Amino acid sequence: MSDKITRRNFLKIAGAGAAISAVLTGCGPMSRYIVRRPYTEMPEYNQTGLNTYYASTCRECAAGCGIIVRTKEGRAITIEGNPQHPLNRGRLCARGITAQQGLYNPDRVFGPIFQARGDTGRQARTSWDEAIPLVSEALKSPAGQIAFLLGTAPDHLYDLVTEWTRSIGAPAPLRYSALASFEGRSTLQEAANRTFGKPALPYFDLANAEVVFSFGANFLETWLSPVSYSAAYGDMRQARPTRRGYLVAFEARQSLTAGNADEWIPIKPGSEGLVALALARLVAEARGEATPAAARSIDPATVAETAGIEPAKLTELARLFAASEHSLAIPGGSAIGQHEGLAIAQAILQLNVQVNNLGLPGGVFLTNSEQPTTSLTEVKSLVQKMNDSQVKVLFIHAANPVFELPKVLGFEEALAKVPLVISFATFPDETAMLSDYILPDHSPLESFGYQRMLAAADRPVYSSIQPVVAPLYDTRATADVLLAAAAAAGSPLPYTDEVDFVQQMIVPLISAGGFYTAPEIQTFWSRWLQYGGWWVTEQGLDAEIAAGSSRPATFSGPAALEEDKQFYLVVFPTQLGDGAGANRPWLQEMPDPMTTLTWNTWVEVNPETADKLGIHDDDVVRVTTPYGALEASVYRYPAIRPDTIAIPFGQGHTALGRWAEGRGANPAALLPAAVNEAGDLAFGDVIASIALTGKRRPLARVENREGVYGEH
Amino acid sequence: MAEVSKGIAEKWGLVVDQDRCTGCNACVVACSMENNVPFTGEDNVAFGRGTYWIYNKRMWEGAYPEVAPAFQPVMCQQCGSAPCEPVCPTFAAVHSEEEQINLQIYNRCIGTRYCANNCPYHARQFNFQDPDIPEPMNSYLNPDVTIRRRGVMEKCTFCVQRIVAGRQTASAEDRPLRDGEVTPACVAACPSGALVFGDLSDPSSRVSQMAQNERQYKLMDELGTRPKVTYLKGGGRNGG
Repeated sequence: MSDKITRRNFLKIAGAGAAISAVLTGCGPMSRYIVRRPYTEMPEYNQTGLNTYYASTCRECAAGCGIIVRTKEGRAITIEGNPQHPLNRGRLCARGITAQQGLYNPDRVFGPIFQARGDTGRQARTSWDEAIPLVSEALKSPAGQIAFLLGTAPDHLYDLVTEWTRSIGAPAPLRYSALASFEGRSTLQEAANRTFGKPALPYFDLANAEVVFSFGANFLETWLSPVSYSAAYGDMRQARPTRRGYLVAFEARQSLTAGNADEWIPIKPGSEGLVALALARLVAEARGEATPAAARSIDPATVAETAGIEPAKLTELARLFAASEHSLAIPGGSAIGQHEGLAIAQAILQLNVQVNNLGLPGGVFLTNSEQPTTSLTEVKSLVQKMNDSQVKVLFIHAANPVFELPKVLGFEEALAKVPLVISFATFPDETAMLSDYILPDHSPLESFGYQRMLAAADRPVYSSIQPVVAPLYDTRATADVLLAAAAAAGSPLPYTDEVDFVQQMIVPLISAGGFYTAPEIQTFWSRWLQYGGWWVTEQGLDAEIAAGSSRPATFSGPAALEEDKQFYLVVFPTQLGDGAGANRPWLQEMPDPMTTLTWNTWVEVNPETADKLGIHDDDVVRVTTPYGALEASVYRYPAIRPDTIAIPFGQGHTALGRWAEGRGANPAALLPAAVNEAGDLAFGDVIASIALTGKRRPLARVENREGVYGEH
Repeated sequence: MAEVSKGIAEKWGLVVDQDRCTGCNACVVACSMENNVPFTGEDNVAFGRGTYWIYNKRMWEGAYPEVAPAFQPVMCQQCGSAPCEPVCPTFAAVHSEEEQINLQIYNRCIGTRYCANNCPYHARQFNFQDPDIPEPMNSYLNPDVTIRRRGVMEKCTFCVQRIVAGRQTASAEDRPLRDGEVTPACVAACPSGALVFGDLSDPSSRVSQMAQNERQYKLMDELGTRPKVTYLKGGGRNGG
């Protein structure tokens, strides 16, 4: 754009902007430049009786959907998807819709607190004037003894902390979320690296696929980017007038995605790799091609028997996959979060190579996105360092490791050995309760920032985060706290505050060919806020995918069970995400789609198995694995293998506020600390036993209430 | 009761494409946040007193291993001939002439629950308690929608506040309402695009077009309720 803009052109541009989005505003309650005006001239964001809309980004999970928040008289009222955002196109899931229940939650941390690790006698409110010198002192510790543990959102804080740790030579910040663990993100990225030669998260073009094989990928509920994949699922079904996509799901416990599939193939956990290889062999036969090297020693009939399915079914499915012009195979969390998960993921990705769908509509692409979590291996080495007293200061933001990490990892015990633990939590969660200080960050709807690692974006996207209301309490942006403390500690970064940092980070976008540009950063910034981010208009992903050769793999297959005594255990995430959603009453009250259960933890047992063991609905059972045990009520779930039981993740909080506490049980107690080759938690091949406790506790279900009335 | 026809143009309707619907329940939560539907807690849900203006009916079909859920989002069907209306002794259940939908006048309602008894769709929800929304959580309550007290029946309104707001905007700009301009909260949220809302009196609207689909059926049409919600059968196992 030329530097000279005539008045006429300026009006044209301004008019165009108003036409595109008449209601979205670029300046808001947290504008940095305060101007005093008479009361009769109300600020734009506070016109009594009128709605003001702000575009921002949802921070309830790492997906990074664009949101439009409707505010009225300074209050956030409703949240909807941003129709222009390339990821979710105006749609939103239950977690994003209930974000106000986090903002206005009565159990938030109201200001900086000396938490004293839960010692109520010594606890005291503190002030930011005292807190910042404290953080500053902590940052002066020897570089190797400072550790940061961050959550999957927001990305700008991660970038800021990475820059700071790099500048003083401290270890890079770790990021962890139980959800990312259940999704197998590290495994997926490493499998893509080994299969396609680039460490990026693959993007599966579901919308244009005809035959889709999902191996434990619950993309309609939680996996990677559920809103964008749900939209693609809808299009796969009905957007093409003559072709209806066909979905087949291979998993032991029917998830929502498998429930919506045309065929659910209940294979044993641990047999996914073998099934993928058997399919590879059968697909090659059906297409008249040479058998891939990895599958040469595989006998499909034996595999079918091992996996617990009919051999004829396997052949039929392979023919279906081979015959379609747009076949797609998706490796999901429960399949790749296993000991052999990396090889399993590769075997599944290899099916895509076999049908040549790489970089084609309905096939696999590579995103520009890195995946936002560090692997569990790195978290384990942090725990080891904490145990060896090599960590003097631990900063925790937007993560709740005491709740989320497998109990056998011993994070809580290791935390006790760290001399100074500073939490930036907005809620008094389990980890914050055990910290020395809680220096609360603003809630996501009161914050600036951006999300840039969007797992399901089909183009380069930066999604902006801006405050939609003025902060309710005495909280402070963690980025601002760290910048001020770093400056005082003598290791300053060249940014005056959080907004300055975000602005400097997005300067390269001005000339990066997005759908808008501006002559300088302030104008660019106001559009960045107004549109809810920056992206390019044209869909475009790297279509040049080099297919690597398939690596010969051997799979040990599913573990043998003692019948009716031992069971495969499936732990699955729900709408509560990594557990942080448990304090949103509407997420608790929302029925689980498959069981219609609310507000609690349940154990899913096949009715056939339950009959054999004499278990009725609502009987409390004790589930034991080599790593721990828990008690919960049984839900007789018809859509699960008789040799498998399943437990949802997210409940069982001992802190986090009134709606979360003392409700259900936390299956983190049942999980191992073992990891697969890519460093993801190997939670998919755990074996459990169940025993009746003699107790009974009715579950709150929305379906047929028979058996609940009169027995409560 | 019978549809009133005075040459009024609007006839709002909804289409639910069950082939797109995944049963994710985003609509349930979106509706609750828009319409100030109170959460009731575990015990109330267990007693069948949970309040959902839209709920996902999940029916198991088949037996293991060929078992699958069939999802059917059910909300007030805004019957043209509504069974709930004639039984209300206080005329709280009324038919709006302008929008051609069923509305509940909360301050007329005395809580006889006759209407809920007579509704074949389980669409009416009764407030067994006052809502318990501690401060400051009441800050997000939508000022466009009344908060209902204990003893009052409530139900889906097709987000009538959004219809009215849309109509006012259009009239202020001196133009007719555009197709797709008004979206109830459930339709706006739906991640898979299973819900389509619009004016059935306009034959060119998207909802009218979709309601002609060969997969269409009405829920319990045989009762003669003349629902304004049209379902499109799911493909595959869901009975396409």
